[in-house]
Amino acid sequence: MSAAVPIPVIQLLQVLTVAVAAPGLTGVIARVEARLQGRRGPRVLQPYYDLAKLARKESLAPVGASLFFLAAPPIAVAAYLTIPLLIPVLTTYGLPLGYMGDILGGGFLLSLASFVVATAALETGSPYAQLGSSRAKTFSAITEPVVLFVVFTVALLTGTDLPYALAATVRSSAGEVVRPAHLLASAALFLVILHETGRIPVETHTGTNEFGMIEEARSFEHSGPYLALLKWGGELKQFILFTILADVFLAPWGLAASQHLGNVLLAIVALLAKATAIGVVVAVIDNSFAKLRLFKITEYASAAFALAVLGVFTLYLGGG
Amino acid sequence: MGAPPGVYQGAADALAALMLMLEFGMLRQALVRDQVRLYAAQSALISVLAVVIAADRNLPDLYALAGLSAALKVVAVPLVLRRLLPGTRPWSGPSGALAGSGPGIGGTAAAEPAGVAGSYTLSPASAVLVSLVLAGFGFFTFGALHLDGPAAPALALAIAGAMVFVAFALMIVRGDVASQAIGFFSLENAISLAALVLAAEMPLILETAFLFDLLVAVVVFGMLMRAHHGRAESLSTADLTRLRG
Repeated sequence: MSAAVPIPVIQLLQVLTVAVAAPGLTGVIARVEARLQGRRGPRVLQPYYDLAKLARKESLAPVGASLFFLAAPPIAVAAYLTIPLLIPVLTTYGLPLGYMGDILGGGFLLSLASFVVATAALETGSPYAQLGSSRAKTFSAITEPVVLFVVFTVALLTGTDLPYALAATVRSSAGEVVRPAHLLASAALFLVILHETGRIPVETHTGTNEFGMIEEARSFEHSGPYLALLKWGGELKQFILFTILADVFLAPWGLAASQHLGNVLLAIVALLAKATAIGVVVAVIDNSFAKLRLFKITEYASAAFALAVLGVFTLYLGGG
Repeated sequence: MGAPPGVYQGAADALAALMLMLEFGMLRQALVRDQVRLYAAQSALISVLAVVIAADRNLPDLYALAGLSAALKVVAVPLVLRRLLPGTRPWSGPSGALAGSGPGIGGTAAAEPAGVAGSYTLSPASAVLVSLVLAGFGFFTFGALHLDGPAAPALALAIAGAMVFVAFALMIVRGDVASQAIGFFSLENAISLAALVLAAEMPLILETAFLFDLLVAVVVFGMLMRAHHGRAESLSTADLTRLRG
């Protein structure tokens, strides 16, 4: 009874899964976080209500802001929605559009989205928005070397830089899972993701106080549907990063190996379960460590960098 | 970069890599009691590694060694270290600035001995980068030896080499006697790691002798720490630069 799903539909489903599930993941994390802090917490569906509310509101732009200010949120969301085409979200086999770009292509899209949002924030002339974008750009420059070394590790492990290839390599044997290079690179990537999603070490991801504000500050001047797009973009980014960690590095199991409807549905459920599991771990980590001072970020980045570099080192002696 | 190692080999290598990460953790950890905890964790890992190698190569002696090493390095050494560290018991030492303020809020929290926290001569991030370079040097020099044993331990041996250098870096960049002692003990862990991967068949009696050597070193270092603290009222080595006492 399992009908074959046409390839283009699967491709579309990859994007849709990410687009629809991303706010829900944020809701689950907020809920878990509240429970850890002894609060009851918002509904899991709250992010959807927030987005719907913002979409209905009026939008204003600061005096002097150009068209780019309004164009940035849609461009960012478009960039985020392109990434699920490039990475294994539901399938083990590469979909036709999956080879449009490699890991670097995905990285470029993430950077493009972050760049347009930062530039739009600069346009406003608001000090907080500018502070947020300057911090975001500075810190992403600090974590960039870590990402590069993670990509080197992937390239050395698989001989390619395709996310599908690494997922297949990890699945191929238990030896691939425990090899140090893989574990070190995964750990380094996890540290980067903790930083990029505004959990640790310096940022409060929901906070609106100006000391811990990086990502949140950038959308200060946006309002209405544009703010909704920016919020959704942040949720998409989080979901995509979790998907990369789960489906490429840590647990590329449960993906559909064929076009059968049952397999594809199972893959969706597995992805949601994996993303939720990572979200719970992230919430626990977020709530059990004190935030560092802003300029301690280099210490955190140096730890992640050490992991990534050692991952590459271990490969050079063979057997890593 | 070549085929993956087998599961046992990969697990052994990953454990060795984890030990190296803990060495880096000790390097950047500011508080001495957390350094002692990291040392205990590293020692626990080497016991686990001994069990893995014992299971892989069918060496029942190593199980005994793992148990002994765990009892000594995970339990006894950290315990002795904590007892011998001056000022770690609440308000036992001379009341410095530290005992009066921060750590004593709860009334029962152990006070951090004076002169340890933040005794870096380099900033933690620079210290990590410098030791990363040293680790790379150690890694590739030991790797270039091509000491491939029966179970091809080239990688774990190279990691042990990197650990030796990071342990030295720890002793160099931290200007307090407690961290330097811990650096020395973790150096012993690095050498045990090298011994374990290179000569797993070493007679048990020899390994045991090494372990008890370590215990002697711990007591001696503890005494030195106390003597230094008694003279300088601080664990910082900054006081040692004076030519006259």
